[in-house]
Amino acid sequence: MLQLENVTVRFGGVTAVDNLTLSIGASEVTGLVGPNGAGKTTLFNAISGLVRPGAGRIVFNAVDVLNAPVYRRARLGLGRTFQVPQPLSRLTVRENLLVAQRFGTGSVNASRLDEILDFVGLTEKAGRDASSELALSELKALEVGKALATNPKLLLLDEVLAGLETTGKRRFMQMLKDMHAKFGVGILIIEHDIETISNLCKRVVVLNFGELIADGAPDEVFRDAEVIKSYTGAEHA
Amino acid sequence: MTELIFQAIYSGLLQGGSYALIALGLALVFGTMKVINLAHGELVLLAAYIAYAVESAFNVSPIVAIPVALVVVCISALLVYLLVDRIKKDRELNSLILTYGIGVMITNAILLIWKADIRSTKSAWLQDAVVLGPFYSMRSELGFFILSLVLMGLLWWWLSKSWYGRAVRAVASNRDAAKLMGINPRTTEIVSFVVAGILAAFAGVALYSYGVIQPPLGHALTVKAFIITVLAGVGSIPGVLAGALLLGVVEALTVTLLSSALQEIAGMGLFLLVLFVMPNGLFGTAARRG
Amino acid sequence: MDARRISVVLAMVVMYIAVPLLLGSNLYVMSLLVASIAIGGVALAWALLGNLGGMVSFGHAAFFGVGSYVSALLTMKLGVPVFAAMLLGGVGAAVASIAMLPTLRLKGPYFALAILAYAQIFRILATEWKSVTGGSGGLSSIPRLPEIAGFDFGSKIGNYLVIVSIVLIFALIYQRIRASHYGTALRAMHDSEDATRVVGVNSTLLKAMMLFVSAFMTGVIGAFNAHYINFLEPDYGFSGLWSTLPIVAAIFGGYRTILGPVIGAVFVYLVDQLVFKSFIPSGHQIMLGALLAGMVLFSPTGLLPWIVEKFKRSRNAPA
Repeated sequence: MLQLENVTVRFGGVTAVDNLTLSIGASEVTGLVGPNGAGKTTLFNAISGLVRPGAGRIVFNAVDVLNAPVYRRARLGLGRTFQVPQPLSRLTVRENLLVAQRFGTGSVNASRLDEILDFVGLTEKAGRDASSELALSELKALEVGKALATNPKLLLLDEVLAGLETTGKRRFMQMLKDMHAKFGVGILIIEHDIETISNLCKRVVVLNFGELIADGAPDEVFRDAEVIKSYTGAEHA
Repeated sequence: MTELIFQAIYSGLLQGGSYALIALGLALVFGTMKVINLAHGELVLLAAYIAYAVESAFNVSPIVAIPVALVVVCISALLVYLLVDRIKKDRELNSLILTYGIGVMITNAILLIWKADIRSTKSAWLQDAVVLGPFYSMRSELGFFILSLVLMGLLWWWLSKSWYGRAVRAVASNRDAAKLMGINPRTTEIVSFVVAGILAAFAGVALYSYGVIQPPLGHALTVKAFIITVLAGVGSIPGVLAGALLLGVVEALTVTLLSSALQEIAGMGLFLLVLFVMPNGLFGTAARRG
Repeated sequence: MDARRISVVLAMVVMYIAVPLLLGSNLYVMSLLVASIAIGGVALAWALLGNLGGMVSFGHAAFFGVGSYVSALLTMKLGVPVFAAMLLGGVGAAVASIAMLPTLRLKGPYFALAILAYAQIFRILATEWKSVTGGSGGLSSIPRLPEIAGFDFGSKIGNYLVIVSIVLIFALIYQRIRASHYGTALRAMHDSEDATRVVGVNSTLLKAMMLFVSAFMTGVIGAFNAHYINFLEPDYGFSGLWSTLPIVAAIFGGYRTILGPVIGAVFVYLVDQLVFKSFIPSGHQIMLGALLAGMVLFSPTGLLPWIVEKFKRSRNAPA
């Protein structure tokens, strides 16, 4: 469904994503791992259009989206969340989802909106101000809710589980699994925790210094010497 | 015709010296405080009118007015700083509105004190011709151009060598990191306003010494300074100087080849061209885009 | 009927019946009212751009001037009926705003400065394009508002009713935009633009739409003004006053509200004309500058909302 061909992103002299070729299939859950600074978030930004790659092709559902503006990619079915939650400010929780649904899908469907609110567990908070009245776990849920409201085919989740306590994390994981089944949406998820990835994904992709260094089933990939080296090396640095 | 064109280029280059001083002041304050001082052109104009006032009151050369202009403009710049500093909420937009209001006040204060008439220097010495090979200029044009180059050299030296100058650069590039290094951003903000005031004072006296002034000019100068910073892309001194010289030359060529009334449009045309074709400026890669 | 409805009806009665009946014979007062409400319309358009579009404009004089010239020239050279020409004046201003589109890519201060520069360009164009605009000599005997079905819209009361209606319609349009989904998305765009874009909002288009609407409104008011005073010259049509007064009025009345800028304009214009101008005949704008600076420092969300707040608090305070 999503094909990246030789995608390269540079910032000044730093190459954040280096000649990356990757293909993500429809409705699979793929983990994207790698040490800090490996270029994971930059890759998300390139896919969603917030940064423009210096070279390469990005094809989504047979549409070349390399030069498509951010909003068009969203309407084509590329949803994403931000690592640091970015609620739509000065709006209520419900209005956040409403804007996402109205502009992401082109129309408003109130019952589906309520369904999503309920799914991410924010029904009771629907009338609250999104940027000032939510706890971190609720903000993370809102990130997912906003993205779901655009009716995405592929969802890019940027560390949605980071910073949650254990029970919250477990609930969230269940939600992600259900989401895959319930909304039939493909997921590409950035996550540091190897256990979470193994639990959630059938496939994992490893980035280091902007390059793809491993791609396969979690138990194979995490046994790979190079992966372990890059990971532990960076973690302890 | 070719002679006229070369002469226009020469005059334009000389004019660019003062433009560079004005634009550097604007860029310096924007660098440290992330505030565009919309009253900056009016501060320059204030210096020009002080030169006029000193000249007509004591019958001396406007150059004598430089110390007075320095004191008055720097104090005014400090006052602008103190007011801008009071804004805590929505600083970017509110400071624009505030400095716009201050600009309107200065323009009209000038109008009240010195009337709407066009003024120019009576000093024959300043207006005497200096001939350099095929090129002609007034003594004041060439003199102030050289002075502006010297000032820019000093500014460059100060920014790269002195402790305060480095602090100003540090705050401009990364405020939080500068704080961690023990630099007080407030001090550097004040310093940048004062330095902008010094540059404005020299530029203002220069404008009066070789040109004509009238109250609405301040506004136009702010716009010119802005166009130059867009041309330059980043706030580097050589970039701003190049942008200023370019604007001066384009204006002078427009006046020579087309009409003096189109002078302002020439600058705007250049500005639009750069905006469309090279959104990062002629000489820079700084990101201004949203 | 709830209190809100009653106050709306009351306001309509005052504006459409009481004012013309009581003050209609006083030509001086009526001319002050017409001018101040016209500025209120520009202030409303300015505030729409600021509040919904998140853009501070220092160049609304450009739209005002373009609207006035387009309408004046259409009626004088092509014989277009005045009311149709006024609408086209608005369209002309909106078209002129297309020239400003590249500046939408610039953020905050850069947009403000760019629009400041644009205002100058249009004034110079009007001065230099002599064959069409008459140059600095200006245009005189611009057609007044017509007489339709026995009612003379060109009379003082007629002019007053027209400008009141225009501003009311604009306020309704503003209100509808703000309450729409576009308004909701625009509200979010200020502080979280990337977040709105990744859910499918074409933020540049929405901002451009607000610029068009604001320019259109300002152009229509400029056109009305040209037919009201029957005279136009570049230094008047593109005067910086058309940029400054609406800003002062909108900040004064609260630029996040719809009617605040209009009320602010009536107040600020009357004070400017009756008080400032009598003390300082030329250069009275110094007071506007001071007022603007003072307001931004002490109550950036508006003086009127601040007064209302104080008033409410003192009434609600336990005795």
